Amino acid sequence: MSDIDSEQDELMGLLMAIAHEDRQAFQRLYQRISGRMFGLCLKLASQRDLAEEAVQDAFVQIWHNAGEYHNERGAPLSWMLTIARYRTLDIMRNRKSRPTSGDAHLERVADEREGPLDESLRIAGSAELRGCLDELSETQRDSILLSYYRGFTHDELSEALSSPIGTVKSWIRRGLMALKRCLER
Amino acid sequence: MKRTPERIEALAAEYVLGSLHGAARRRFERWMMESVRIRQEVWFWEEKLGHLGTRIEEEQPPASVWAGIERRLWPQVDKAGGAEAANEGAGRWFWPSWSILATAAALVLAVVLLQHPEPGVDDHLSGAIVQADVTDPLWLVSQSVLDRQLKLRPVAATAAQQGKDYELWIVPEDGQPLSLGVIPVGDTYRVTLDDEARKLLSNSRTLAISLEPVGGSPTGQPTGPILHVAKLYRL
Repeated sequence: MSDIDSEQDELMGLLMAIAHEDRQAFQRLYQRISGRMFGLCLKLASQRDLAEEAVQDAFVQIWHNAGEYHNERGAPLSWMLTIARYRTLDIMRNRKSRPTSGDAHLERVADEREGPLDESLRIAGSAELRGCLDELSETQRDSILLSYYRGFTHDELSEALSSPIGTVKSWIRRGLMALKRCLER
Repeated sequence: MKRTPERIEALAAEYVLGSLHGAARRRFERWMMESVRIRQEVWFWEEKLGHLGTRIEEEQPPASVWAGIERRLWPQVDKAGGAEAANEGAGRWFWPSWSILATAAALVLAVVLLQHPEPGVDDHLSGAIVQADVTDPLWLVSQSVLDRQLKLRPVAATAAQQGKDYELWIVPEDGQPLSLGVIPVGDTYRVTLDDEARKLLSNSRTLAISLEPVGGSPTGQPTGPILHVAKLYRL
């Protein structure tokens, strides 16, 4: 826990320095988090060139917006990863492209549900979030995690989970609200 | 669309999750700009769901990503403006770490004169990369103007530790080090120097070797410890 705290303190210090245009701090920040950021973008996009573009865009944004970071926006690392995640989703949607389609696509999703997704879930984030995700139904949890990690649209989820789009939408919406009630407890 | 608390709550969650897109996403972004309350709702989810993103397996981006960031933020530091520009801003930070590492290293850095010039060849640089507790030099270095090649011949050098590579750098008198690539294990490493590299090396006559992730530095600048610094002699 203290490791995590001290890392967040360090990242916070770097962000403050970057807000004063400290390029050395910026390069240190890149060295500290670019691996995690690229890992996240790559997982989301499944395309290296797209993930590379997103990381570049995110760091340019971080340089310009470091001064806008504040506590309410979560831990510094989450804030920066969120920037990269939104950017990845934007580029994905602009390109409207997917690396795989049809049956191959479905197969990959099915694999994810059995393996890496569960693994991600086990090691992901705070115990609080994990505990609350565990309280959701399996379909709610899967649709939320597939949206988060894979950036699936409602259409793609509907195809991947072989369920009508209205059903998928309601899994997500109800799942998120149940998650919030749990997190607020 | 009416901004009821229930609707805001639901849309904020979907916005952060990414399942809200197209016109609905843009409309919600406008709502965010107009209301602190809505932004706070979004931040709640960014903070909570952010935990999902922090434990994903790391993957180092290629060096071109950092180079691209620098190019976009500080285009004047790029290439042509070169050494001077780099030394004014981003470049300066690098030097303290070089000098500290070079002097504090447990390795004693020394240079010995090893080769005699071939007759009639000007500006022939030569030297060796040595280590105090190893009798033989680790690598012999020679540069000849004729074929514009720098040669690094391993003598007592051993492979880098598992998951690491040695990377060779020209350390210019001013500005950022210039990578000459990853040194392969066991073979003589030959690298052809372009005009810029030859000029930098001719002025500073200084090479360095750093320990980097496999495939070389992900940033285009040394990221690992500087293991050796060697000054070449002009023969």
